[in-house]
Amino acid sequence: MAKQIPGVLGSFVHVDAATDAIKTLRTQGHTDLTVYNAAPNHEIEEALEQKVSPVRLFTLAGGLIGCAAGFAMTIWMSLDWPTMVGGKPFGAIPPYTVLAFELTILFGAMFTVAGMLILSFLKPTNKLMYDEKFSDDQIGIFVPCSSDRYSAVEEVMMQAGSVEVRHAS
Amino acid sequence: MTAIAQDRPTQTHAEVTRDVVATLGTHGRGYTIMLGGAVALFLVGLITFVLLLKDGLGLAGYNSPVMWSVYITTFVFWVGIGHAGTLISAILFLFRSPWRTAVYRATEAMTVFAVMTAGLFPIIHIGRQWLFYWLLPYPNQRYLWVNFKSPLLWDVFAIGTYLTVSTTFLVVGLVPDIAAVRDHVSGWRKKIYSICSIGWTGSDNQWRHYSRGYLYLAALATPLVLSVHSVVSWDFAMALVPGWHGTIFAPYFVAGAIYSGVGMVFTLLIPLRKVLHLEHMITVYHLENLAKLTLFTGSILFYAYAIEYFVAWYSGVPAEQTTFYLRAFGPMWWAGWTMIICNAFVSQLFWFKKIRTNITALFILSIFINIGMWFERFVIIVGSLGNDHIPFAWGQLNPNWADWGILAGSFGWFLMYFLLFARTFPIVAIQEIKEMIPMPRKRTGGHR
Amino acid sequence: MSKENTEDTSQGIDRRKFLSVAGVAGLGTVALSGCSTDRIEKLIPYMVGDEDNVPGIATYYASTCTECPAGCSLHVKTREARAIKLEGNPGSPINRGRLCARGQAGLQGLYNPGRLSGPQLRNADGSFSDVSWDEAITLLAERVGAAGASVAVVSGAGAGTFSDLLAAWVGALGGRLVRYQPFDNEALRAANQQVFGRNEVPTYDFAKAEYILSFGTDFLETWLGQVENQHGFAESHGFRDGHMAKHVYLGHRMDLTGMNADEWHAIHPGSDAAVALAMANVILSERNRAPNDANTLRSVLAPFTPERAAEESGLSPEAIRLVAREFASQPSLAVAGGIASQHRGATEACAAVNVLNYVAGNVGQTIHFGSGRPQGDGYGALEELAAAMDAGSVDVLIIHEANPVHSVPRAANFAARMAKVGFTVSTSSVMDDTAAHADLVLPNLHALERWDDLQPRDGVHALLQPVMMPVRDGKAAGDVLLEVARAVGGPLAQFDAASFEVYLKDRWAAVGRQRGRHDFRVFWTESLASGGLFDEPAVGDVVRLAPGARNVGYQRPTFDGEGDLVFAPYPSSMLYDGRGANKPWLLENPDPVTKITWQSWIEIHPDTARQLDVREGEVVQLVSPHGTIEAPVYPYLGIHPGVVATPLGLGHTAYGQYADGRGVNALDLLGGEDGGGFLPYLSTRVELRKTRRFQKLAKTEGNPRQLGRGIAEAMPFAAAVEGKTVAEVHGGPHEVNTELEQEAIVGWAEAQREKSLEGDYAGEHPNWGMAIDLSRCTGCSACVTACYAENNIPTVGEREVVRGRELSWLRIERYFEGGEDGEPFSTRVVPMMCQHCDNAPCEPVCPVFAAYHTPDGLNAQVYNRCVGTRYCGNNCPYKVRYFNWLSYAHLGFDDPLQLQLNPDVTVRARGIMEKCTFCIQRIRGAQNTARMEDRQLADGEVVTACAQACPSGAIVFGDMNDPNSRVARAGQDHRGYHVLGDLNVRPSVTYLAKVQHGGEH
Repeated sequence: MAKQIPGVLGSFVHVDAATDAIKTLRTQGHTDLTVYNAAPNHEIEEALEQKVSPVRLFTLAGGLIGCAAGFAMTIWMSLDWPTMVGGKPFGAIPPYTVLAFELTILFGAMFTVAGMLILSFLKPTNKLMYDEKFSDDQIGIFVPCSSDRYSAVEEVMMQAGSVEVRHAS
Repeated sequence: MTAIAQDRPTQTHAEVTRDVVATLGTHGRGYTIMLGGAVALFLVGLITFVLLLKDGLGLAGYNSPVMWSVYITTFVFWVGIGHAGTLISAILFLFRSPWRTAVYRATEAMTVFAVMTAGLFPIIHIGRQWLFYWLLPYPNQRYLWVNFKSPLLWDVFAIGTYLTVSTTFLVVGLVPDIAAVRDHVSGWRKKIYSICSIGWTGSDNQWRHYSRGYLYLAALATPLVLSVHSVVSWDFAMALVPGWHGTIFAPYFVAGAIYSGVGMVFTLLIPLRKVLHLEHMITVYHLENLAKLTLFTGSILFYAYAIEYFVAWYSGVPAEQTTFYLRAFGPMWWAGWTMIICNAFVSQLFWFKKIRTNITALFILSIFINIGMWFERFVIIVGSLGNDHIPFAWGQLNPNWADWGILAGSFGWFLMYFLLFARTFPIVAIQEIKEMIPMPRKRTGGHR
Repeated sequence: MSKENTEDTSQGIDRRKFLSVAGVAGLGTVALSGCSTDRIEKLIPYMVGDEDNVPGIATYYASTCTECPAGCSLHVKTREARAIKLEGNPGSPINRGRLCARGQAGLQGLYNPGRLSGPQLRNADGSFSDVSWDEAITLLAERVGAAGASVAVVSGAGAGTFSDLLAAWVGALGGRLVRYQPFDNEALRAANQQVFGRNEVPTYDFAKAEYILSFGTDFLETWLGQVENQHGFAESHGFRDGHMAKHVYLGHRMDLTGMNADEWHAIHPGSDAAVALAMANVILSERNRAPNDANTLRSVLAPFTPERAAEESGLSPEAIRLVAREFASQPSLAVAGGIASQHRGATEACAAVNVLNYVAGNVGQTIHFGSGRPQGDGYGALEELAAAMDAGSVDVLIIHEANPVHSVPRAANFAARMAKVGFTVSTSSVMDDTAAHADLVLPNLHALERWDDLQPRDGVHALLQPVMMPVRDGKAAGDVLLEVARAVGGPLAQFDAASFEVYLKDRWAAVGRQRGRHDFRVFWTESLASGGLFDEPAVGDVVRLAPGARNVGYQRPTFDGEGDLVFAPYPSSMLYDGRGANKPWLLENPDPVTKITWQSWIEIHPDTARQLDVREGEVVQLVSPHGTIEAPVYPYLGIHPGVVATPLGLGHTAYGQYADGRGVNALDLLGGEDGGGFLPYLSTRVELRKTRRFQKLAKTEGNPRQLGRGIAEAMPFAAAVEGKTVAEVHGGPHEVNTELEQEAIVGWAEAQREKSLEGDYAGEHPNWGMAIDLSRCTGCSACVTACYAENNIPTVGEREVVRGRELSWLRIERYFEGGEDGEPFSTRVVPMMCQHCDNAPCEPVCPVFAAYHTPDGLNAQVYNRCVGTRYCGNNCPYKVRYFNWLSYAHLGFDDPLQLQLNPDVTVRARGIMEKCTFCIQRIRGAQNTARMEDRQLADGEVVTACAQACPSGAIVFGDMNDPNSRVARAGQDHRGYHVLGDLNVRPSVTYLAKVQHGGEH
C-alpha cells in the first residue's frame, strides 16, 4: 500500500449536500478535490466546473493516423510487387478505401482508449483515501490537506450534510 | 406490472448493486445444465474440426459449384448476431435512448462472443487451415503482400477491427462495474476483480475522461457496425454469381444483421433474466422496444426480398431470373420459403402490441428469427452457387454430419463464453442504471 | 486449304522434334531391349541412367496402340525411363497424330495396379499361387506336348508377326485357333460377301462424303477406327468455306454419332433394312446415275416401297424419299454394322445398306474394298470351339488377348465350358474374368513393354517396341510360345528363334530386303523411329455386285421374350468391350452422351419412364428370358420410346480393383446364341420391374438445358454460308446492356488495363488464346483424358463424382435442345476449360494472390500460395476451378499408377484450388527451346494436350497478339463468340459456333 496522502474524506448520501460541500471547499481554496461517485453526475461536474476532456484530440489523431496508414499500407504493398489481378490497376483506390476506413476506426478507438487511460491515471488515485461505499450509493469527497486543516475541512463537510467524515491517519 | 410504462428503474443505487452482484459467482442447477450442454456442443465442433484438419474439407458436404456452404452461412450468421450488440450499445447511446441501459451489457457481450465465433470460421473453412495467417499483411519470405482488392481481405480488417473495437467497448464499459463488484466481494474474488478494475475509484477526473472517451468510442463504433456487415455483404455482392451480384446487399445485410441480432438477444435474455432473477431490471418495456426494432429491420428485409425479385425480373438477365425462380420453386424451395416466412412474415407480427409484450411469444418468435436468418444466408450462399451461369455445372449441396457438427460447435463455443461471462461479470450495467436513477437530495427528502 | 497447310507445319515440327529424339531413341531401345528379358524385381526409375536419357528431357518412342483393332500409331513420351503419356504418331495414315481416350488410357494398362507380379498356378482348392517362369513354361510345355492336336487357342484378331507365329505354332501342333474379338463386324462381312463377293470390311472415306447416312452405326465411337473416322467426319462435316456435309442418323438411340447428326430419326429397332431398301428403291426408280448392273435390282427392290418401310420404321414415307433423294444427289456414304443395331437380321440390314450405297454410286468412291483389315473368325467359330470344349475334345486351351467369360453372354456358359477343358491357360497380365477361371496365368508384357508389329490394314506395318523396363514380371507371349516350342520340340522344333525379338527382326529383315533396304540396321532404326512402314494407301479394288445381291430382303427380326421394351446393349465409347473397365481414366471420363461415370445405367425415354413411373436414379430390374440386370435409370430423350439401353463393358467378375463388382454386364440379358456367325446384341425384349430403391447417378451433368444463356451456340447452315455472326443469327439474345452501356463498360475496362501495364506487364508479350471449332468438335472426350494425363489430374472415384467433386480441368458440356412438344431433339457439346479471362473474376477475389494474371495473358494459379478460400471458384462464371477437397493426389494414384505422373506438373495437395493452365509447362518448354535456339516461337509450336489429342482437330492454340496466328484468325471468324461474353470478363477462348443443316425438309 502506497503511502497515503494526508487529507479529509467525507461521505455523502445526498447529492445536493455533496455539491454544497464542493462549492464551499472550492471557495476556501481547496481546488484539488477528488470526488468519488458510482456514476457520472452533472450536478457534481458543474460544482467542480469541469472542463471538457481532451480525450477527443486522441480520437482525432488516431483516426487521421489510421486513415493515412490504411492508404499508405495498401498502396505501398500493392506497388511493392505489382501483380495484376482481374485487369485492374495495381494501386486501385476504391477497394483500398474500405481498408483505410477500417483502420481509421481501429486506430481512432485504440487512441481514444489510450487517451482515457493516460489522462485518467495522470492523476493517480491509489494514494488517496477511498471507501467501498462510493461504488455503491455514496458520494465521497477527498480534500488533500495538511493535518492542521483537518478540523476546518471536517467542519465544512459536516455542515453540508456529510454522513461520515474521516481523515488520514 | 406498472413497470411496463416506465422507462426508468425504480430501485435505489444500493439495490442495483446488490441485485447485480447477486447474479455473480453462485451456480444454479439450470445454469450448470446449460453450461454443460454448451461445452458438449463445443466438443462436438472441436472433434469435427480435428477430423477436418486430418482428412480435409471433403468430409463436409461441399461439391464443385457449391464451394461455400454451411460454414460460410454460419460465419455470416454469427457476424450478423454480432451486430445488435454494438447497435444497441453505441447507436442508442448516441441517441440517448434510455431503454438501452438494461440490455446493452448483455448484447455487447453477445456481440463480442458472436464475433469471436464468426472469427473462427475463416480458419475452419479454408482448405489449408494451418496457413490462415497468410491472409495477414506481414513481411514474409515470399516477398509478396496480400491482395487488398479481395473482399476477403476487407473482411479480415473489418472483422478484426470490429472484434477489437467491440471488445474494447465492452471492457471499457465494464471497468466501473467491476470496481463496484470489487467493493462488494471478499477473498480471492476481490483480488481478481481488483486487478480487472485497473484501479478504478470513480473519481471525478476518471469520470470526466471516461464519459468523453466512451462517447467517442460510441461515435466510432456506430459507422463500424454499419460497415462491418456491409463489408461481409460485399463478399457476395462483389462476385459475379447471380443472386449475389446486387447493389442493395449492404443495407440489406445490415438490416438482416440487426434483425438476427435482436432475435438472438431475445433468445438469450428471456431465459437469462429468469435464471438470474433480473425481471425487474430487464422489463417488458425493454423487450417491447427491442421488438419494435425487430419490426423495423424485419420490414426492411421484407422490402429487400421483394426488391431482389423485382430487380431480377426487371434486369432481364436470364441467369438472375433463373436463380430467383429456383429460390422459390427449385430443389431448395424449402430453404427459400423458410427464409421468407421467418423473416419477412414473422417480423410483421410485431405490429401487434399484444405480441410485443408477450414474453413467451417473443421467445418463440425469436427462435423463428434465428432459424430464418440462418436460412437467409444459406439460401443466398448455397442456393445461388448451386445455380450459377453454366447450367451444366449446376449442383446441389448435401450437407452432412461434418457441416452440422461445426454448426453445433459454434453454438456451443458461443454459449459457453456467454454463460461464463454472465456469471463472472455484471450482465446488467450497474453504472449506467445508476446514472439514470436520481440521487437522493436532502432538501426535497428523496426523489425530485 | 489453309487449315491443312498450317496443320502440316505443326506436324512438321512435331516430326522434326520426333526424328531428332526418336532416331536416337530407336538405337537406345535396341540397347535397352537386350536386358528387357531380365528378371526385374522392382521398377526403380533412373537409378542407373541410360546415356540417351537426359534428366528433364522427354524421350519419345514410336509404338502402336493395341487398345482396339484400329491400329493407331503412338508416340510414347517417356521421362526418366518411364512412359508418361501416349500421343498419336503424325506419320500414321490411320490416326494422323491424334489419339482417342481409350488409346491414351493404355498407359493405365501399363501401370495398372491389378497387374500380376508373375505366373499364377491354380491350386487344388481353387486359389492361385505364384510359380516361377521356368516352372510355368515347363508345365505348359508338358501339357501342350501331351495334348498335341487337341490344343486350342482363342486369340485376339490382330494381324502381325505374333499373330502369324501363333497361327503357325498352333498349325504345327494341328490344334485349333479361333481368332475372336467382340465387335468383329461378322454380319457386315457376311453382307459384303453376299452383295459384293468380298468377305471383308472395307475402308470408308468419311472425308470425301458430302452426305453421311448412318444406320445406327457408332462410327465416332467404337465402329472401326474411331480416330480415323472422326478425322474424316470432321473434314467433311466441319464447316469450312461454306461447305459442310450433312449427316443423318437413323437408329433407335442417339449415341455420340447420332448427337453429331444434323437429323436423328428414332426408327424402330431392326427396321433398318426396310428403310435402306426403300431408299435404294427410290433412288433406282427416280434417278439413273446408278451403275448399270444396279438396274438388275429394280425388280428385287420394287416391293420395298417407302410406305412399307414407313410402316416398319415409324419414319414417314416422305422423309424416306427426301433422305433418299438427298443421299443420291451428292457424294454420299451410308454405313451400317454397328454393334448397337446388330439384331438377328443384321446381315440383311448390312446387305441392304450395301445395295443402297451401290445404287448411289458410292462403292469405289467413298467405300474402298481391298483394305486388308485383319478379321477374326467370328462369334460362330468361338461357339463351335465352346461346343468342342463342352464335348471334351479340347485338352489344353490357351486364351490370349481375349476375355470371353466377360464378353460372351453368361447364358452361353463359357466359364463352365472352360472347366471341362483339361488345362486352361490365360496370358492376361491382370486377373480378368477369364484368367480367374484358368489353371495357369502367364502374364503377358504390356504392349509398351514388348516387341511386336501389327498390320491393321494393307500398307500399314506398325511396330511395337518396349519403351521402358517392364513394370511387373511378365513375359511376352511370343517368347512363351518360342520357349514352349523349344521344350516340346517335335512339330514345334521349327520355331527356333532365340527370342521373339529376334523372330520379329528376321521377318523385318526380309521385308527390308523386299524393299531393297539391305542395311538392316538402318532400315530397322528408321522403321522403329517412324513407328513402322506407312505406305501410300492402295487404290481400292473395283467391286461389282455379286449374284447374292439379288437376295437382299427384309424380314422383321425376332426378339426373345415377352417384355414391352426392346433391350439394346451398346458398346461403351470409353470402356469398349469392357477392356477399359480397369482404367480409372476411362471410368471417370464421362460417357459422352449421358455424362455418367463409373456406373452402369439404363436409358429410357422420359415418356416411357413417366408411363412406368420411374425416375432418374431409380434402380430397376430388367428381366429377359435369359437373365436379369439391375441398374439405375437415366431418362434420355435420345432413345426410341420402346427401347431401353445399357452400355456394355462393366459387370466384371474379376478385373482388378477398379472393375470388380462395378456395374452390370448387359450381356447377361442375352441368349448368346450364334445368330449366323455373329452375336445378335439387339435380340431381346425385357420387362422392367421396379425395386423402389434409388442410387445417385455419378454424372457430371448439372442441368442439361442452356436456359437461353448462349453457351453452346449453333447456326443454320444457310446463315453460316452467308457469313452471319452468332449475334445476328439470334438477333442479340442477351440484350443486357445497351450499346452505350457496353461502350462505357468496355471503355472503363480498357482504361483500367492501360493503368496496369507496369513492371513485368509493360512491353511486348504474347497473349495466349485458344479457338475451338464446335462444328468440328464431336464431344468424343479424347481431350479430357489427354488433360488428365498431361496435368496429373487424379481420378476421384465414383463416390466423389456423385458428390460433384470430379477434378476434370476440361469437361465436355453436353446440352439438349428441343425434344419436347414435338420439337426435334438435338444436342450440342462445348468443351469447357479455364477461359483465361483478361478481366478474370477469379483473380481479384483471391486474398493471397494465388490466382493472378501473367504478362502473357495466362490466368495463373500458384498452388503454393493457395490457402483454399475457394472464393475464386465461386466467382468463376464458367465453373472451371476445381478444389482438392480431400487428398486426391494420394487417393487417385494407386501404386504403381503414380509412375505415370508428368514430372513437369505439380501434383496438387489437399486444400488447394486447381484448374486448366493452358498447359503452361508446354508453353514454357517451347519458349525455352526457342530461346536456346535463339529464335522466335513459331505459330503452332505450342500445342496443348487437348489440342494435340483432338481427333477432329477442333482445338487451335496460339498467340492472339500475332495477327497471322491460326488462333487469331479463328478469333476473327464470323462464327466466333465468347461464352458468357456479356459479363465482360474477356475470355481468351473463342468458340466457333456449331453449324447445323436443318429446315431443308
